[in-house]
Amino acid sequence: MHIIFRLIVLACFVILSSCNQHQQVKDSQLALIKTTNPKPVITDKKNRRDGVTEIKKDVSSLPELYDVAVVQGKRDTLVVYKVKHLHRFQMKKIEKNINKMLEEKYPKENFTVSSDYKIFLEAIRLDERMKSSKFSHRDAENRLKEIVKMTEEMK
Amino acid sequence: MTNKQKNMTPQQQNYQQLQQKHEIKRPILKNCIKAFFVGGLICVVGQAISYFYIYFFNFTEQSVGNPTVATMVFLSMLLTGFGIYDRIGQFAGAGSAVPVTGFGNAVISACIEHRTEGLVLGVGGNMFKLAGSVILFGVFSAFVVALVKTLLVIWGVL
Repeated sequence: MHIIFRLIVLACFVILSSCNQHQQVKDSQLALIKTTNPKPVITDKKNRRDGVTEIKKDVSSLPELYDVAVVQGKRDTLVVYKVKHLHRFQMKKIEKNINKMLEEKYPKENFTVSSDYKIFLEAIRLDERMKSSKFSHRDAENRLKEIVKMTEEMK
Repeated sequence: MTNKQKNMTPQQQNYQQLQQKHEIKRPILKNCIKAFFVGGLICVVGQAISYFYIYFFNFTEQSVGNPTVATMVFLSMLLTGFGIYDRIGQFAGAGSAVPVTGFGNAVISACIEHRTEGLVLGVGGNMFKLAGSVILFGVFSAFVVALVKTLLVIWGVL
């Protein structure tokens, strides 16, 4: 019985480790468990506004956060971040502070701020889809609108 | 001397001393460590399930709690039915009883115990014999917390 059990465990190990051979791991596959730190994404490159990199830098500079994703669309700018575990008791306060800071520094932008893992994952997926040639800027803009809607529904 | 010891006869007191001498001491630290690791392992499984729901379905971090709890309770019910959760419980004690999986175990073990008394009066009547108190005090404490929060919101504290 023990031998059979050991053989099953060994077989599972071999099969699972072989699944990983020569496969590129996407950022979105591990976005929930590790720091991805993606570059800022702009869905509407024609009407590109300055300051996306600065927005990311400003938000990343907060000591309570460890992973920030910024997506800039035609109208909305989505800012998603992960909070360090010991600071997760002050989530609402952190969100309030980020909102205040962004609105003061970039009054023309329309920000949507979230710390939800799902929104973070969707931001990473959007970035990956945009890198593939099949996904047009209009599709990206529509997807961003859906993500923003989902974020607002949670509040 | 406590009241209980005062009421004992000398014979009973001698017997109690003898019993205390031979009593095997409970390995409290060892039990705590076991409970910590098994309870932690159950929580890791729960976390993995919640990530699964976030990754493959349309659940957000706020809404993922409900399907995760339902899945964990269902899994512990199955394991109780197969007799595996009892062994985990014997090994880990509170580590397996305190997480939400302990609730599923309490429901199904009461069902199995009273199966011989029939489906309606046996299983149906005794299903929540153990878990009923969890539901009662859970609902009551949720009510009290909601009441306190509502008052704090009305008074402008929150």
